[in-house]
Amino acid sequence: MFEDLFRYNFRPLCLYALHYVQDADVAEDLVQECFTTLWEKLQEGTEIANRRAYLYMTVRNRCLDRLRRKGIATESLKPYDTYGIIDDDDAEERSQTEARLWTAIDSLPPKCREAFLLNKRDGLKYEEVAREMGISENTVRNQISKALKLLKDGAVKIYMFFFG
Amino acid sequence: MSQFEDKHLDFVLKHYQEGKFDTRKAISRFNEAHGIRPKPRRNVLVMMSGFAAAAAAAVLLGVFIFRNIEDSRWTEYETLAYAGSFTLPDGSEVALSPNSTLRYREDGKRMVKMSGKVFFDVARDETRPFEVRTDGAFVRVLGTEFQVNDGSQDGTETVRVYVSDGKVLFAKNGRSEGIVLTKDMGACLEKGGDMPVADAGQDINSIAWNRGSFIFDDTPLKEVLDCLSEYYKVSFAATDLDKRLSGEFYNDDLDLIISLIESALDVTIIKK
Repeated sequence: MFEDLFRYNFRPLCLYALHYVQDADVAEDLVQECFTTLWEKLQEGTEIANRRAYLYMTVRNRCLDRLRRKGIATESLKPYDTYGIIDDDDAEERSQTEARLWTAIDSLPPKCREAFLLNKRDGLKYEEVAREMGISENTVRNQISKALKLLKDGAVKIYMFFFG
Repeated sequence: MSQFEDKHLDFVLKHYQEGKFDTRKAISRFNEAHGIRPKPRRNVLVMMSGFAAAAAAAVLLGVFIFRNIEDSRWTEYETLAYAGSFTLPDGSEVALSPNSTLRYREDGKRMVKMSGKVFFDVARDETRPFEVRTDGAFVRVLGTEFQVNDGSQDGTETVRVYVSDGKVLFAKNGRSEGIVLTKDMGACLEKGGDMPVADAGQDINSIAWNRGSFIFDDTPLKEVLDCLSEYYKVSFAATDLDKRLSGEFYNDDLDLIISLIESALDVTIIKK
């Protein structure tokens, strides 16, 4: 089913693209275009045995095209994480874990997510998060450790679900 | 690797934005761009090609089977295994849950007939009330969001109405007196009953299938599980049914929801 293909791969592909283009809006548009390309190929009657692999390949090609058009030197056309260059295969493998992590963050209770993001993403200290949210520092600490626990437990289950 | 690592979390956090990479929205954008929503057709020839197109699109999304009814004033949509949504000629949006039908008038009269479970977001027009009919009851509105479930999917034949915004009148067919429902109110009319009665069993999660998420607010675990059980048709056993849960959960992954609840409340939940 094409919709299932979409459902299971959209987010992982967005994360994969993000390693190349480093911009969520660009990554999302680009992945959407790749689904369109695949859909059109299938409509024309082209046989594509491994659709998931095909999608990863087209996403990668489009990312590279885009970077080239922006004038990035060929030797720098690589996926990155926050620590530096990673390899293409690694980016593909990680995209699954990272997509599930993204989903798990989406599913955190709202206050818990807010405290977690203000601290871990935006770099606010506990004290600043407490002021921003109008709650005690202790509550902030609890919310953040709860968030981490939820993500860890969630990610383990997710991992089993995918590969177990 | 049995766990995510810091490098994964760091990367996700660097780019994380709420509501980004929303798979459901992406699917509906895709469907809209590719005209997956079938358009009503009139003559038999076009209807055949409409059907062929629908069959081709069947691999993709909740497809409506479109039917020309003998009485040309009505057009009918039917969903099979998937939910689907479309816009009526007056601009009202409807979302059909799986195995539902909806007929609407071609002559511009704001009246629809339905079976199954359908969510309505009615375009406001105070001069022309919008009316929904099932076999046993009708709901008349000015402009609002509500859901009608005629009970045919669960075999109860009890008509259930839930209003998420606005105000509606819900009554038995042939009667002018009924019950007026406003935001977050539900009512039901049992088969053979004359007057709908308030029904606290319906709440915001009655429309989870359409919204794409469950919302709990200090809800006892027992009610949470009843809600999931009704939605996913699975039974659960759990410890500490009195613990309370708050939060919003996307409805596309039951296992994830269960594991999140387990760790949030420190309970064990078993699917039966």
